[in-house]
Order: sequence, then C-alpha cells, then structure tokens
Amino acid sequence: MGDIGALSSFLVSAVGLAVPLVLAALGETVSERAGVINIGLEGSVIWGALGGALGALAAGPYAGLAAGALAGGMAALLFAVFAVWLNTNQIITGTAVTIGSLGFTGAVFQSRFGVTGLALELPTVPAWEVPLLSRIPALGPAFFDQAVTVYLAYALVPVLGWFLFRSRWGLVLRAVGESPDAAHASGVPVARTRMLAVVFAGLMAGVAGAHLSLVHTGTFAENMSAGKGFIAIAVVVLGRWSPKGVVAAALFFGGAEALQFALQAVDADLPYPLFLALPYVLSLAALAGWFGRARAPEGLALPWPR
Amino acid sequence: MSTRNGPCERRGGSESSGLAARLRDVTKRFGPVTALEGVSFDLVPGEIHGLLGENGAGKTTLARVLGGLLTPDEGRVEIGGCEVALRSARDARALGVAMVHQHFSLVPRFSGLENIALFNGGAWTKRGMAAPGYRERVEARARELKLEVELDLPVEGLGVGARQRIEILKALMSETSVLLLDEPTAVLAPREVDGLFAVLKEVARAGTGIVLVAHKLDEVLAAADRVTVLRRGGWVLTREAASVSAGELAEAMVGGAVGGHLARGAAGGQRPTVDRGRTAMDERRAATPAADQLVGTADPAPVASLRGVTTIRDGEPALRHVNAAVKRGEILGIAGVDGNGQRELARVLARIRTPDEGDATLPAEVGWIPQDRAEEGLVNGFTISENVAFALHGKDSCRKGPWLDWAGIEETAAELVREMDVRATSSTATAANLSGGNQQKVVTGREFLRSADLLVAESPTRGLDVKATVAVRSRIAALARHGDHPPGVVLISADLDEILELSDRIAVMVRGRLIPVPRDAHNPRDIGELMLGARVRPDENADGHAGETRNTVRGPEGSTPGARSAGGGPP
Repeated sequence: MGDIGALSSFLVSAVGLAVPLVLAALGETVSERAGVINIGLEGSVIWGALGGALGALAAGPYAGLAAGALAGGMAALLFAVFAVWLNTNQIITGTAVTIGSLGFTGAVFQSRFGVTGLALELPTVPAWEVPLLSRIPALGPAFFDQAVTVYLAYALVPVLGWFLFRSRWGLVLRAVGESPDAAHASGVPVARTRMLAVVFAGLMAGVAGAHLSLVHTGTFAENMSAGKGFIAIAVVVLGRWSPKGVVAAALFFGGAEALQFALQAVDADLPYPLFLALPYVLSLAALAGWFGRARAPEGLALPWPR
Repeated sequence: MSTRNGPCERRGGSESSGLAARLRDVTKRFGPVTALEGVSFDLVPGEIHGLLGENGAGKTTLARVLGGLLTPDEGRVEIGGCEVALRSARDARALGVAMVHQHFSLVPRFSGLENIALFNGGAWTKRGMAAPGYRERVEARARELKLEVELDLPVEGLGVGARQRIEILKALMSETSVLLLDEPTAVLAPREVDGLFAVLKEVARAGTGIVLVAHKLDEVLAAADRVTVLRRGGWVLTREAASVSAGELAEAMVGGAVGGHLARGAAGGQRPTVDRGRTAMDERRAATPAADQLVGTADPAPVASLRGVTTIRDGEPALRHVNAAVKRGEILGIAGVDGNGQRELARVLARIRTPDEGDATLPAEVGWIPQDRAEEGLVNGFTISENVAFALHGKDSCRKGPWLDWAGIEETAAELVREMDVRATSSTATAANLSGGNQQKVVTGREFLRSADLLVAESPTRGLDVKATVAVRSRIAALARHGDHPPGVVLISADLDEILELSDRIAVMVRGRLIPVPRDAHNPRDIGELMLGARVRPDENADGHAGETRNTVRGPEGSTPGARSAGGGPP
C-alpha cells in the first residue's frame, strides 16, 4: 500500500508538472508546423501566469484562466507582429520578447502588490473528479482528479492531431511551414496563417502559465515560469512535431522533474539535477533523428518572403 | 464568371473585348531593373499563345503579372474582360487563372496528392488517405490528360519531369479560363512534349486561353496559334503562328546575328536552325569531327569508372548495378526521361553521394553542373565573384597563399561574365537577382574554370536561350576535345538534340539502369523509344564502344529489358 501511495503521489506530481508543458508544447507544435519557432513562448507563459493571477483576483479562477490565455496571446501577437509581419529574425525576436516579458511582468507585479515577503494567495481552479476512473489505483488521482486545464490538454491531443493531419486547414498550415513559397503560389495567405498559428501558441502558453499560478501553486512569483516555455520547445522536438508525441515527451519531462523532487526528498546519494538534464540529451538525440525520420518543417525559423 | 457582367464592362472603353486576359501598357520594375516596359498582350479564349524571348526578356515576369504573383507598377490587367487588381495568386485563382511555374511550387515533403489537394483547397488528406472520391477524381483527370503521375511518394524524391507532371495536373484540376505555363517543356522527353501539347490542345478546345512561355522556337511553332516575342522587357511582335517563319522569330528574339559572338564555337556562325532533326544532325557533325574515332585513346585508364554501383533511396533502388566508364576527352551522353535515376547518378559521379553497393573510382575534383542551379549550384546571397571564389578558392588564380586574391577573382568572374554572356545589372549583383538562364550560365562557366578531370553536366542548357545554348554546347565540345588533359565529360540531359549533338557514346537511363545505345541507334527515334522503355535492341552489347557502359541485365531479361521487365526488381 505504501508503494502504491508513493507511486500515486509521484504520478500526481509528474502529471502536474507535465500539464503546462503539454499545453504550451501543443500550441508551439502548431506554430512550428507553420514555420515559426517562438522562443518568446516563455514570455507568453509568464504573462499567462500573471494574467491568470490578476484575472482570478478580479473575477475568480475561471476568468483567471481566460485572462491568462489572453495575456499569453498578446505577448505572442507582439512577437508575431515583428517576426511574421515585419519579418525580423525569429530567434532574436523571441529572445527579446521572453526577456522583456520577464522584466515587465515583474514590474507589473511589484507595482500592483508591492515588494512584500508575503506570498500572494490566489483562488485556485478546483479539481474535477471523474467518477469511477479516479478510483483506479495509482493512476486515477493523477489523471482523473485534476483541474479543467488537464482535461483541456487531453481533449486537444486528438483535436490537434485531426486538425494538422486530416483537415484542409492543417494541410495549408503545414504547407506554409514546409514551403512558404509553394504555399504562396497556391494562393495561401502565408503571413496571416503564420500570425494565427503563433497567436494560438500564445493562447495555449498563456493557459499553461495560468495553470502554474492558479492550479499548480495558487500564487504568483516573479520568474515563476522557470523555463517552462523553453522546455516546451524542447518537448516539441522530442515529440517530433506531432500532438501525440508531444504528450509523451511532456510526460517524460514532467516525470524526470518529479523524480528529481522525489530524490531530493528521500535524500538519495545521487546528483539529482542529472534527471533534469536527461530529457535534453534525448531532445538532442531526437533532433539528430535517432528516433526515426521525423524532421523539422523545412521552412522553420526562415523569414518569408526571403 | 459572374464578374463578367459586372460594372467592369463599362470601364476602360475596352468594348467588352471577349478576351480571356489582356495586359495594357504594363511596366514592372525590380529596383533598378526594368523587367517589363509598356507591354500589351492579348489572350483569346481557346488559343495557345506562345510567349517567346531570350533569358531575361520578361516572359516569366509577364506570366507572373497575369498569375497575380506580381503587381505591375504601371498599366492594367484585365481578366475575362474586367479590369482587375490582382494582389495574390489566390485572387487570380478565383478568376480562373492557374499557373505552372518554372521553379516548381510544390511542397517538397508532401505527396503528389497532398500537393494537388493543397492547391485546389479541398480534400482531407493524410498520406494515402484522402476524402472519399478525391483520389479517384485526381486519377481520372490524370488519365484523361494522359499524364503519368506518382501520387503517393513525397515529391522531393521525384525528378523534375515527374514533379512537373504533378504541377500540370494540379493546375488543371479545377475550372481554368487562363492557364499559364512557364517553360513547361524544358525537362520533358520528346514524346512527353508531344503528349503535353496534345493535352494543351484539348484544354484550349474547351475554351481555356493558354500562355505557353518557351524559348524553343520549334516547340512554340508546333503548339501555338499565336506567338508574341519579347526582347529585353519590351514587346517586339505578335503574329499568327502559321504566318511567321522560325527565322523571323529568331531574329525578333535575338535582335541581331546569332552567331556573331561565337566564332570559336564549332557551331558558331550558324543561324539557330529550327528543324529539330536537321539541327541535331548538322551540329553533331560539326561539333563531333570524327564521331567514330575514340578521342583520348592514348590514355587507356578511364578518369572515372563505376562498377556495379547501386544506391538506395527511400528503400527503393535508385541506381541498379550501374557500370560506366569515361575516358579523357570523351563525352558520354546519358539520355532518359527525367526521374529514372539521373540525379543519383550525377550525385555519385560528383562525389556527393557514396554508392550503397559497388565501387566508384573518381578523380579528386569533379566539375558538376547540377540540374537545380538555384539550390545546388549557387549560393544565392553571394555575388558572382563570391560564387566564383567559393568554388575555386583553391585555384592559383584565386589565391595568394592562404589569402583570397580578390583581384584575381574579380578578373576571373569578369571573364566568366564575358565568355558566357551573363546579363547582370552589375558585378555586385547577387546570384538571387539573376534570371534562371543567367544563373545557369554562371554555374556552367564556373565549373568549366575548375579544370577538373571529370565534368558532370546535368541538363546544362535547360532554360538557356538560343545563343547561350549554342555557346554552352560548343564550349563543352571544345573542353572535351582540346588541350593536353581534356576532362572526361558525362552529359546527362533529357534533351535528345543535345545528347546527339555532343556525345561520343550514348546510354539511356531507364528505372535506375544504364543501357548502352549502339551506334546505329544514335537517332532520336530509337533513343526516344529506349528512353520510354519501349524496347532494347538485342545486339546492345555487340558494339565495342557501347560495351563500356554495358547493361547489367542478364538472362532472359537481358535481351529485352523494357520498362516493364526492368521495373520488376533487381536481377
């Protein structure tokens, strides 16, 4: 029983850590499939966390989620205006958006709440227990007794899989990412498609950020995104630009982080940060194509028109 | 079309022209370059309108203006009698204008079916799965147009000809009142060209106006109802095809004596003759002084040889047990319908790809004129000089010890520009700013300068104008036959005239196999049939010369490895 309890709490922790990654990475998958790599995703996550906090204080946790999504979307829109519309370098623009967002959110937070030692207490999004399924030993509490954001992540996997690979919009979007010239010649509005994809990724990253403040911690702290946006980009690589793969990869990253926390708790004689590094090694391997033939979209990160 | 009855009819005094499309005094500039200047152009429904001109004459620009990809700086565009402001290909598409591009507009990693679905904005697809009935519709249309297309493999693995067939099918899948084709015949085998023209005539009969951009006079005269000639961005003439001679057209295109600059070339001094067969034979005799006598026999060891070379691409053999050898001073011509393994062969010869089986003995440096000049031949952001320096920086003319010798490089580049008649606005123009034909001239000229022991030329004159074609061909011939250490040349081309004109030996690639062509079959008809895999002469190995590149098919298949049996798998 003790083993099951330990496993259960490990899984709860792993899923909790994985969900923001799943949400942000699903959005980023769509963006990268359209040929835009948004390093500014981290900025959308932190704006989402802050937007979530402010929204929740003003009108409750669900309004907080919506506000978080909106805030993340706005940050992505800023990125898209430069990187897509004005055709600036995606990597540099994204980095600027991330660093600027970390600074601005900190400033907004301090001006609103002051520099206090006290942690902010936020209304949190309640967990919804799925009848029966949540009773499954070990797995139930981790997967079926969670906040709405978790179920949103579940639902989005098949929806986005269908969208990307089965729908005509997905075909158009992938064409824009693979070969914007060809898409343009086919009459596809390349820039508009990319803008929409980036903003969608921002909305998703915003929800991920709101999940951090309104589900995971119940508070907001400066820099609380803690690299989740960057990790999500690695998750997309490891998940090989497919929604299903992204979920598996995010769970793997979340599991590694949870394991690291668990090892800290039991004071094992292991350098626990190693477990944080392991997923990145695998991401590099995935990028190098060691897990099969999936390649990044051909037009990824390339400005268009050139 | 609904717009035809709209208020547009009252505008411009065009008295409801009944034209499929019309350009009025259109001017288009790119920075300092004027690509089109005050050009007017009519397209009547149901006609095939040939658009002729040399490289950089503005043909492609005109087509792109009609196709909505470029917005003119001055002048008007009318589609179906209405003045329109086309802002994108989608706008043009909505008015029934479709374009088949010279540089293909296909998504490389998508299958043919996905590309067709993408362009036609329908169909739910994932790999083999499409909307119920869509695939069948595509296949039915392909059969109707007699186009052989591969729908399931990613198009990036297909050859240029195969990709082009998908392009054409893609454009013709939906209602089209104006069809623009930019150099559609450049990569096709003769029989395919005839097939294409048959298709186009069918399409025109149904009322579609077709603009056929081309630089081959005879093809245009064979297919077109009317012909318009452009020169250096300006309109020169528009005539009924039946009432104009090839000579008049050639003069209108070139605007002067063609052979004037080419005194040193074997074919220099001649007018560009138009009759295909006669041109080929005449020029071959001129360029190949003694076709039966093997040049370079003093050097018995081949500069390059392949023994049993097989390569695998996407799990399929792309080359099947190829044996070939080239001697110094010899031109080995490899004909074939595009997509039969020529790209792989060129890559193996150019040392870009190592065989999966068999041995390739190749010189340390190989000159390579790749088929896809824009992607593989040039660094697009580099100037002509930089492109020369990039490829030849190891040569004495381009360096001083470890340093680049920019003076020498500039001199070399200037010589190249002169020799190849490259039309650049300035020596600092980047490769990306050159027209396709001029890019090819730069690549070709540069690879000549490499003075390697082996030169691999893939369709070296594709997209070149008459003058440049003559120049490139005569220079290849001169290169192979003069000097103390002439290189061996492998000429890979879908253009039979070119193969016949230049080659000492000829082989045909069919589905990854290299089949030697006996000397008595060195004529367009026999080679054409071999290219299409129709038959192989039983005495193929009897010819001593052709034995160098012998067919490896043995046994019962060996006598007649036609397309069907050759495609059956490795021996």
